[in-house]
Amino acid sequence: MMEEAQIVIENAQYAYGETAALAGVTLRIRAGERVCILGSNGSGKSTLLQLMNALVLANSGTVHVMGIDPAVADGALAVRRQVAMVFQHPEDQMVTSVVADDVAFGPENLGVPSPEIAQRVEAALAAVSMSDEARRDPADLSGGQKQRVAIAGALAMGPRVLLLDEPAAMLDAEGHREIHGVIDSLSGHGITIVHVTHFMDDALAADRVVVMDGGRVVMDDTPARVFEHREMIERLGLGLPFHLRVAHALIERGLAVPPVTDESGLVLWLQGQMQGWNRPQRDSSAAHQIQTAHATGAEPPVLQDGHLVRAQGAEAALVFDHVSFSYAERGNRNAPAALTGFSCSLMPGTLTALVGRTGSGKSTVASLACALRVPSSGTVKVGGIDTTDRKRRRELRRLVGFVAQLPERQLFARTIFEDVAFGPRNLGCPDDEVGVRVRTALTAVGLPADEAFLARSPFALSGGQRHSVALAGVLAMRQPILVLDEPMAGLDPAGRARMRSLLLNLKEAGTTLLLITHSMEDAAELADRVIALEAGRTVADGSPRTVFGAAQPQTPGIPAALRLARSLAGAGILPAASEPPLTLGALVDAIAAALGEVGPDGVAR
Amino acid sequence: MALRVSIGQYYSADSPIHRLDPRVKLIVTVLFMISCFFVRDAATLAAAAAAAGATAICSHVPLGRLAAQVRPVLAFLIITSVFNLFFIQTGDVLLSVGLVSIHTDGLAAAVLFTTRFALLLIGGGLLMLTTTPTALCDAFEAVFKPLERFGAPVTQVALILSIGLRFVPTLVEEVNGVMAAQAARGADFEGKGALAYARACVPLIVPIFASALRHADNLGRAMDARCYTGGAGRTHYRVLSFTPRRDLPFCLGFTAYLTVLVALLAI
Repeated sequence: MMEEAQIVIENAQYAYGETAALAGVTLRIRAGERVCILGSNGSGKSTLLQLMNALVLANSGTVHVMGIDPAVADGALAVRRQVAMVFQHPEDQMVTSVVADDVAFGPENLGVPSPEIAQRVEAALAAVSMSDEARRDPADLSGGQKQRVAIAGALAMGPRVLLLDEPAAMLDAEGHREIHGVIDSLSGHGITIVHVTHFMDDALAADRVVVMDGGRVVMDDTPARVFEHREMIERLGLGLPFHLRVAHALIERGLAVPPVTDESGLVLWLQGQMQGWNRPQRDSSAAHQIQTAHATGAEPPVLQDGHLVRAQGAEAALVFDHVSFSYAERGNRNAPAALTGFSCSLMPGTLTALVGRTGSGKSTVASLACALRVPSSGTVKVGGIDTTDRKRRRELRRLVGFVAQLPERQLFARTIFEDVAFGPRNLGCPDDEVGVRVRTALTAVGLPADEAFLARSPFALSGGQRHSVALAGVLAMRQPILVLDEPMAGLDPAGRARMRSLLLNLKEAGTTLLLITHSMEDAAELADRVIALEAGRTVADGSPRTVFGAAQPQTPGIPAALRLARSLAGAGILPAASEPPLTLGALVDAIAAALGEVGPDGVAR
Repeated sequence: MALRVSIGQYYSADSPIHRLDPRVKLIVTVLFMISCFFVRDAATLAAAAAAAGATAICSHVPLGRLAAQVRPVLAFLIITSVFNLFFIQTGDVLLSVGLVSIHTDGLAAAVLFTTRFALLLIGGGLLMLTTTPTALCDAFEAVFKPLERFGAPVTQVALILSIGLRFVPTLVEEVNGVMAAQAARGADFEGKGALAYARACVPLIVPIFASALRHADNLGRAMDARCYTGGAGRTHYRVLSFTPRRDLPFCLGFTAYLTVLVALLAI
């Protein structure tokens, strides 16, 4: 059975207009396999997936899915009867306003008799643990739940192959875990899964990883062997799974870490190292000191009365004073989440991360900070200006900038220049200064600023470039306070890395940053302060160390480094430190310190 | 500043009205809306109001949600009432101040036209609030099926309606998002004069159109992947059935209303 090839693609080529998306792909996928397709934006991975579902037909080469050639008459439909697909945006897959009815859409189209549709809907919803939500409106569900409904809709068609196109790209950490769990359980039941993803850790669970670049398959092997080619993976704009990044950082420190397939492999090896050496009595506080010094680098910010102070005497740029917000029309699903008694003040040159589940009130804080809404009670002051003061609204707009979620959706102008210039012109900048600002902003986000590029239409760009142009449109306004709502959503690893370094540069330049994020790693890595919200209330507020280091963190997750540090401490490799490492760098320092005390050659130093 | 839309949104509840055969609801609603045009005096108005009121109570839909169905045309209703009030110069004079005079016919028309139009909207609103887009789409298809013989694309139109309704909340959310983003970039949506206003709307309208097209593109692909090919060979998850115990009382109630209305008109 395992040998039966369900999908056979031979030298397939496909082009959108003049742009080649697939430049000769050959691939076989066998029954029951779980395959992950990786690749940066524009590598052709989505097109490859659509080829398998006959949504695009190859210009040349041959494709056979379940033995059917999709190019023959009715071939496409015959393929789709056995191969179901789930897409990136959950809301664009729902055809109706009741969960069960939506799941029934596929079977209805297949002409399944009504009593059997009911059985299929029930079974499919049970498979994704959504039976209790059968009567609800998808619009009221969380992103993860919606995406589970979309998967149920695919399963109800009784497919033998399930194609997933970045199903978790738009979801928070919780939604991502939900989808990952569903894929695990489906794969356990023997359905063939082809999964396109930007998350390297997803790929570890696959039987096979296919890496795409420039419309070609450049690697096709087990996850362990693919990730052995670290340099190639990084050159392709991809990253390594977390435990391999740790392993690599240790190797760079001169430790001979062997290839490990998963996190427990790394833990086992480290354990072996510790036991192999005759460990002298050691003073564990020395290890702490090293960690702390590396973790914070610069002079650590101090919390005083809940206010973050970097330099004495500096004035807070953004102040929330006992701010509450509630929406008059209850029950309206477009209503923003309420906020109760929110206080904080942000200093120039600091980055504050705001974390919390979907609907906890994070976006409400962002819109209040940008004076897009005004508080029901309490005050919000931006550079000393009360946001309720409408007369000073223009002045306020000069001070605070807003990078909305999926900012590429706000592009509108005919040329890139006009779009980026929109903000500075609204501020009343003279033409020559607008030109300078546009070019500087585009350079800052890593785009060319030559005349030919400036004259192009923003709609003709790739997804990642559109995101950067929209970002430049905000940066060109040069506001000293910047609020960013999930700026990393939907980006590939290279894009996320670019965004991170941009944020650090802005912070260095003295910008006050408020970052809403789903990524605890980003919060630990970038932030001076982390605020966790739950149902509109602050449940944790302090340095990343206090918030994540708490016995029971109130955040929706903890950074991967901390999780690994805890399991290392559990295995006796790291001392059970009161100040555990939060970032990859700090973790590697801690491990090196713990091992260093005995030394790689087993000699105590 | 945020856009609020509540028209055509389903209100989830389990009421006798929610449970009715959607075909019955569709036909009755259309008939009721037609009957509103025959309301011409206090008695017929009371009959229509009673029918709408009784249905509204049975539907468990909150009053606020019902009122929201009328809100978008409220300004229009008020203006027409004012016109009727001052410009109908027949009947007895009720009030006369200088050039302005109010006559009984004017007052009657102002009240009558406004109320019956509001009733008509509430009737349509009740159908939308108590029927899921899918059920509505199925009912539409079943009721208008005979037209297919004359080449009318009934199934497709029904699906278009259903999807249109389904995307109202999504698009509203997006309009609000884009408005917020552009306002933060200093856009002024309160431009003075028609031309300035139109120009101010470009940064809003272009992204909304782009986004609607993107949704359409994604949705089309998702529907293709789910083997949608149009009407032929499609089955239905929810089989429409006329259950006398459930549907008959409503039909009888509506027939009673029609009888009363015809009787009142005949007098």
